[in-house]
Amino acid sequence: MNLETYKFAAESNQWWAIMPELMLGGLALALLVLEMILPKKDHRIIPVFSIIGQLAVLAGLIINYRTPFLGDETFSHLLKHTAEGQFMRVFFVVCSMLVTGLGILGLSRQTLPRVEFFHIVLVVTAAMMLLVQSNHFVMFFVSLETITVGFYILVSYIRSNPLSLEAGLKYLISGALSSAILLFGIVLLYGAAGKSQADSMQFGQLRAYLAGTPGDFVASIGVVFVLCGVAFKVGAVPFQIWIPDVYQGAPTPVTAFLAVASKAAGVSVLLLLVRGVFAPYSHIVLPVLVVMTAATILFGNVAALGQQNVKRLIGLSGISHAGYLMLGVIASLTIPAAVNAVYFYLFVYLLASFAVFGVMTHLAGTDDTDQQLDYYGDLAKENPLLAGVLAVGLGSLAGIPPLAGFIGKLFVFIAAYKAGLFWLLAIAIVGVVISIYYYFGWIKAAFFPVWQVPLAEGETDPRPPRKPVSRSLAVTLGALALASVALGFWQAPITEWLAALH
Amino acid sequence: MSNSLFYFFAALTLLSAGAVVFLRNAVAAALSFFVSLCCTGVLFVMLDAYLLAFMLILVYAGAVVALFLFIIMLLDMQGGTRKPFTKASMVASAIAGALLLVGVGVFAKHSEFAATAATLPADSSFSTDLKVYGASLFTTYLLPVQVIGFLLLIAMLGVIVLSKRFDGAEDIQ
Repeated sequence: MNLETYKFAAESNQWWAIMPELMLGGLALALLVLEMILPKKDHRIIPVFSIIGQLAVLAGLIINYRTPFLGDETFSHLLKHTAEGQFMRVFFVVCSMLVTGLGILGLSRQTLPRVEFFHIVLVVTAAMMLLVQSNHFVMFFVSLETITVGFYILVSYIRSNPLSLEAGLKYLISGALSSAILLFGIVLLYGAAGKSQADSMQFGQLRAYLAGTPGDFVASIGVVFVLCGVAFKVGAVPFQIWIPDVYQGAPTPVTAFLAVASKAAGVSVLLLLVRGVFAPYSHIVLPVLVVMTAATILFGNVAALGQQNVKRLIGLSGISHAGYLMLGVIASLTIPAAVNAVYFYLFVYLLASFAVFGVMTHLAGTDDTDQQLDYYGDLAKENPLLAGVLAVGLGSLAGIPPLAGFIGKLFVFIAAYKAGLFWLLAIAIVGVVISIYYYFGWIKAAFFPVWQVPLAEGETDPRPPRKPVSRSLAVTLGALALASVALGFWQAPITEWLAALH
Repeated sequence: MSNSLFYFFAALTLLSAGAVVFLRNAVAAALSFFVSLCCTGVLFVMLDAYLLAFMLILVYAGAVVALFLFIIMLLDMQGGTRKPFTKASMVASAIAGALLLVGVGVFAKHSEFAATAATLPADSSFSTDLKVYGASLFTTYLLPVQVIGFLLLIAMLGVIVLSKRFDGAEDIQ
C-alpha cells in the first residue's frame, strides 16, 4: 500500500453516485430514532414518513436518471453504474414503497413490533440497489447476504404463527446452503484466476481471465456453482424446494417482496453475470440455463394447478414466471434486445403482482397463512373494486390480451423466437396455457358464488370477515390496475425509458 | 518436508470434518469440528497467512465452537437415534452421487488445469500483513465494510424482534 493506492481509493469513492442508497440507509436509521423520540400515540406516522422519504428518493432518482456517473466504475471498481442498474434502482424503490404500504395494512392485524419491519425493508432495498450495480464479487456477496439476512427476519416476522417461524427456519437453512454454494463458486473462480490478474474478483478482470482460458476445470465448476446460488434466489428448478412453504408462512407483504423484488434482483444479477463475466463460458452456462428454464416453466405451472391456498398458488406460479424471465436471459445471449424485453417483463410483473398481493393482504384475516381460494367467494358482489383489480392483476399475470402481461410475454417470446429457441418457446407456450387454468380458477372463485357447506351447530365461519377498503389502498390498487391496462395499449413510456440510456 | 506436512494436515482436516458428520455424540462432533478448524489454521500458517490462521482460530475455533458447546449443553442433546434411511432415499442419493461424479469427470476430461504456481508472476504488493489488511479494508473495501455495518444492525434488530417479549400494539389498533 502506497500513497498512490490511497489517492486512487479516495478519488474513486464517489459518494454522490450512491446517494439514493445512502438516503435509504439514513431513512432507515431515522425510523428507529423516530420510534424512540415520538410518543407512542404518534407511532403510526412512522411508516407514512418512510413512504414520503422513499417518494423523495424516487423523485431524485427519476430526475437524475441520466446520472453523470453512467458507465463509470466507482469505489475502487467495486461498483459500475449502468443503464440497467439505473432502471432497477427505480424498480426497487417502487417495490419497497408498495411493500411498506402493504406492511402497514398487514401488520395492523397483528400484535407485533412494527418499526423494525419498515426499517429492514429499507435496508434490504438499498442492498438490492447496490447488488445490481456491483462490479466485484466482494460487493456482490456482501449485498446479497444483506438481502438474505433481511429476508430471514422478514419471513419469520409473525413469530406468534408457527407456520411463519417454520418458513423462517426453512428459508434460513436453504438460504445458508445456497449462499455457501455461491461463495464456494466465487472462491473457486478466484482460485482459478489467482494472481494472473491484478484483482481477479473484479468482473472485468475475471472475464478477461475466463476469455483467455476457455476450458479451465476449476473455473468451470466455479461458474456452475455461482449459477446455482443465483438460481436459488430466482427460485428456478431444482432450487425451488423452499418456495411453497416460505411463501405461505411469510407475512403477505413479505411474500410480495420476495416474489417481486427478490426475484427481480436474481434475474438482474443473472443477466449481469451471464452477459458479462461468464460470457466466455457460455458453452457451459447455456446448457445449464436451458435445462433449468424448461424444468422451471413446466414445474411451476403443473405444481400450481392443484393448490387451494392462494399464497402457495402465487408462489408456485411465480416459479413459472422465473422460467419465462430466464427464457429472456437465454435469448439475450444471442439477441441483445432481449435484455429490454426481460426488464419490461419485470416491470409488468411488478404492477400485476402488487395488485394481486394488495387484494390478498386486504382480505387476509388474523391468521395470515390461512388464505384459501374458497374465501374469495362472492367478492365481486361485495366489493367490485377489489374483484376488478384482482381480475386485472391475474389476467395480466396469465398474459391475457390486451393487458400488459400479454405484451411482456410477447416481447420475451419474440426475442426467444429470433434467438432460435424453438423448443423452449414451445414449452413456454404450453406453460402459459396451463397457467390460464389456475389463474382463471381464482378469478372464477372471486366472481361466482361458491357453494359452502352449511355451518354445523357451534361451528364458526373460517372465512375472515371482510373489512371496508381504505381510500389509500383503493387509490394504490386502482393505479396499479390502470397501469396494467394502459401498458397493454401503450408501452412507449417504459420502452423509451429503457432505451434512454443506451 | 513442507509437502508431506501439507498432506498430513489436509488429510486430518478431511478426516475430522467427516467425523463431524458421522459422529453420533454432539459434543464429540463439535470437538472434531474444532480439530478440523485447527488443521485448516495450520494449512494457512504453511502458506504464510498468519493473520488468516489467527482469525480462524480466534473466531471459529474460539468463539463459534464454544458457542456450539454451550448450546449443546443447554439443550442436553446427547446422541439421539437416527431414523434408518429408506430404500428410495438411498437409491436417489446413489444416483445423485453418481451423476455428480460423472459431471465432474466430464468437466475434468474436457478441460485443462490452470498454470502451476511456478509460472505465475511474483507479486510483491501481496501480503497477509495485518497492516495491509487493515489499510485495504479502509480504502479499497470501504463500501462493503459500511454495508456489513448495516447487515449486523439488521441481524441484531432481527434477534430483538424475534425474541423479545412484546406487550401488544398500543400505538395502532
